Order: sequence, then C-alpha cells, then structure tokens
Amino acid sequence: MNSETNTLPPRPKQSKTSLLKKYGLGLGFLALIIWSIMGTNEKVDWTRVFSMRTIENMDRVIPKLFQPTLDKLDRVLELMLETLLIAFTGSFMASILAIPLGFLTAKNMMGNSLAGRIANFICKLFLNAVRTFPEILLALIFVASIGPSPFAGVLAIAIGSTGMLGKLYGEVIETIDMQVVEAMEANGANKIQTLFYGIIPQILPDFLSYAIYRFEIDVRASTILGIIGAGGIGTLIVISQKNRNWDEVSLILIVIIISVTIIDLISAQIRKRLV
Amino acid sequence: MIEFKDVSLVYQNGTEALKNINLSISQGEFIVIVGLSGAGKSTLIRSINRLVTPTSGQLLVDDDNILSYNTKQLRKLRTKAGMIFQHHNLVKRSTVMKNVISGRLGYTSTLKSIFNLYPKEDLQLAYESLKRVNIEDKVYTRSDQLSGGQQQRVSIARVLTQQPNIILADEPVASLDPPTSHQVMTYLKEVNREDKITTIVNLHFIDMAMEYADRIIGMRDGEIVFDGPVSEVNEGTFEDIYGRKIREDDLRGGSEANEPVSSFNTEDEFAQTRN
Repeated sequence: MNSETNTLPPRPKQSKTSLLKKYGLGLGFLALIIWSIMGTNEKVDWTRVFSMRTIENMDRVIPKLFQPTLDKLDRVLELMLETLLIAFTGSFMASILAIPLGFLTAKNMMGNSLAGRIANFICKLFLNAVRTFPEILLALIFVASIGPSPFAGVLAIAIGSTGMLGKLYGEVIETIDMQVVEAMEANGANKIQTLFYGIIPQILPDFLSYAIYRFEIDVRASTILGIIGAGGIGTLIVISQKNRNWDEVSLILIVIIISVTIIDLISAQIRKRLV
Repeated sequence: MIEFKDVSLVYQNGTEALKNINLSISQGEFIVIVGLSGAGKSTLIRSINRLVTPTSGQLLVDDDNILSYNTKQLRKLRTKAGMIFQHHNLVKRSTVMKNVISGRLGYTSTLKSIFNLYPKEDLQLAYESLKRVNIEDKVYTRSDQLSGGQQQRVSIARVLTQQPNIILADEPVASLDPPTSHQVMTYLKEVNREDKITTIVNLHFIDMAMEYADRIIGMRDGEIVFDGPVSEVNEGTFEDIYGRKIREDDLRGGSEANEPVSSFNTEDEFAQTRN
C-alpha cells in the first residue's frame, strides 16, 4: 500500500455561521463561569475561612473522625438494618407501582387513539412531577402527615422511586420488538396472552435490573431520611453530631460506607447476570 | 379457498397499496407472489389474516367475508392462518419450546396459557412440529442462541403447531444465506404437500419462485399483473412484472442441487460454535 491511498480526504470546510456559533457559545460559557466566581467572592469572607478558628475546629473534629468508638456498635448496626429495610420495602413497592405507569407511558402500548394519548400524556406529566421532589422533601411531607416513623421513610422512598422507575420501565417497553407482538397477534393470541408470551419475556430482565439499581440508590437516600425523623440511621447521625460525639459519627459513616459498597457490588453482579 | 373480490386498500397516508384485486386461491396451492418492494405483496398477504384491513371489496375465506369479522372471529381466523415473517419474530429470551407452544395460544384459555398448563397432546404436537423441521434437539435452548436459519425453522414449527389451513410467509428467506434459504423453502414445500396447507409466499428472488411455486402471482404498484402456473412463466414474464431488465440480485442462486446436505451440517455446526 502506498501512502497516497492512505491519506484522508480533506475535512469539509465549516461554514462561518457555525464557527461563529461555536466560538460564541464557548465565550459565553467562559463569561458565565467568571461571573459566578466573582459573585461568590463578594459573599465569602475569606479572612474568616482561612482563620485560626477554622484550623482549631478542624483539629478538634478530624482526628476524632479517625478514631471510631465501638461503644454503640449494636445500636448502629440495628439502625443500619432498619435503613436497609426502609430502602428495600420502598423500592419493592415502587418497582410494582411503576409497572402500570410504565405501560401507560409507553407510546407503543397506548395506541394512537385520543384517549390513549391523553392517558399517556397525563401519566408522563405525573411521573415528571414526582421526579422533581427530592426524597427528603417527600419524607418531610410524610413525617408531617403520619408522624415520625420508619414507615414515613418507606413511603417517601416508594413515591420517589416510582417516578424514576416508571419512566425507565416506559422506555424499556418502548424499545421492545413489536414484530414479536405482531407475530403473537397473527397466531390468534388475545391481548393478555400477547402480554405474557410476547412482551413480558422481553422486558422482565430489564425491569429487574432497573429495580435493583434503584434499590442501590435508595439505600444511599434512606441513610439521610432519619435526619428529619423518618427512620433509619440518619437519626443517630443527627444525635451524635449534636452531642459532638465525632467518634460515633465516624463509626456510623464507616458502617454506611461498608454496607453501601457491599450492596453495590452484589447488585452489580446480579444485574450483570440478568441481561 | 380464498377469494379476493375487488379488494382495495388505501393506507391512512394515502398510499394505494392494493387496487381492485380479484383473485381466487384453492385449498392446497403453493403460490409465490413476486414483485419489487412496495408493490403490495406484504399488504396482500397481511389482508388474508387481517393484520391490515382492506378499505373496500370483499375477502372471502371459506365463503365467509372476513372483512366484517369482529375480534373473536378474527382470533379464530388467525388461529387457522399461520404466518412466517422475514425476521422470524421469535421471543429471543424464551426457549424454543415456549416459542413453539405459543402457536397453541389461540386454542388455549388465557388463564391456562399464563400458567403454562398445556394438555399433553399440545406439547407433543409442538415437539412433533420441531421434529418435522429437524430441530427437535434444540427444544430447551434459548432462541437467541440459534442461527438465523434455525430460528426460521422454529418459526415454521410454531406455525405447524397452530395446525393451520393456510400458511402466509412474508419474505421468509430475505435475511438468510442461499443454502439456508433453499432449506427453509424445502420445508415449506414439504409441509404444503403433506398436509395440503394452502401456502402463500412473498419472494423477490426469481429463481426461487420458479423452483418452488405451483403458481406465480406478479404484482406491481398494487395491481396483479401476472397470474398463472409456473409452466407459463419465462424471463420475459418477470421483466414485465418488474418493469425492467432482470438483474443479478433478483436471483438467489445456490440451488439445493448444488449443495445438498452440506448446508444442514454447516449451519448446525455454526450454531454450535455460538453456544
């Protein structure tokens, strides 16, 4: 092979407007960053941040964080288990609640009729609305309405996860092979049979995979719910922090890190096998 | 007995897919429909099991106008009219058996089919169907582990399990290589002869049409431009149907006579290497 055949054809010339747009956008972005940095500069009292007091505070807290106490290990483990259970129950509820919503938000399931499109639109809107609430805010609402208990946390997790799972389920359903569905119809299968023989085998592994992934996220989310009294290990974090028991906070953090890591590993393994 | 009486079909976007089709097909015929893509072959075939609904005229299957059928009658019609698709349309994640038994869905009550409660005879029938296309050793294999030709044979078995009066095959060999194409066509022909099942196949390969058909129907722009036994067909006929000279890619080649048994071996070996 000689070098002439290996040369690439020259790049197509970019039009002036597209070049202008590119540089314009770049400069605009740069200006935005500079402006925001200047904004913080005005609000922050740098002399206070870099003072002896900060260093003293850090000196008091940080060494303690590296000296966990095992005094309250039982209590911490118990509450960690509660946290995991809150996450599990919540994501389990969500993974079931999201199924009908997933079907309703999938365009290929709802047909082209006016009623179908309206239902589709309403469900999408609902899921979008749900997704905008952070779990902690949902938990706040449930703690206020049913009182401070782990169940408030479960509901917060369940509702929050439904928003995400419903959307993901809907997307999974939209990508299935509709020709299989057509083949089932051509067999003389009715709608329910088509669902069980043509659709569910195609979506089940993805549904499970997403549900497990969401459980992973929920474990992390539920560690913090206790801060506002919705059960789980968060309660203990707040108490220990208020009492300045930094060694206890340290223990709690270590337990959380270990549990979350283990769950991430397990869930990654399971999900790899599913698809 | 299938009769088209002045059947026309206009799609919602205004495309006239069928224009005043008059056609009569008797029980047990092996018909190949040829024509360029977009000529209306698929639409014609799909009208017979009402996957598409003609907009005017009458379509009689066993002296009954199927255009006036309700959902229940349609299911019954489709149970008796098996369909084979270009892309096999198997549920890839399900086993071969589950795919083949889905041919019985039209005969099975919804509840029984959901819980997989098929009578022994049905399971036996499914296994016999697999035997007829020589793929019974794959009965518990997942469908996505089969090669293209094997998948198409499974889809023939699925249709046989329906015990149909009519088999409709929409481009069954378009995504297969030449030896495998001949193998699939041979099975279709065998089934047609042994069970006296009316078989209607869409093809665009001229040589295959000539080799397997009893009768050839040529379509162009939604009209039937030729209809007659194979003995009346010559190259000129195809040039009339296609409205242009015959080209290399209108032929599939690799006739069974050239590579008789080897095609079976190579294909199975191919699939085994994938397993």
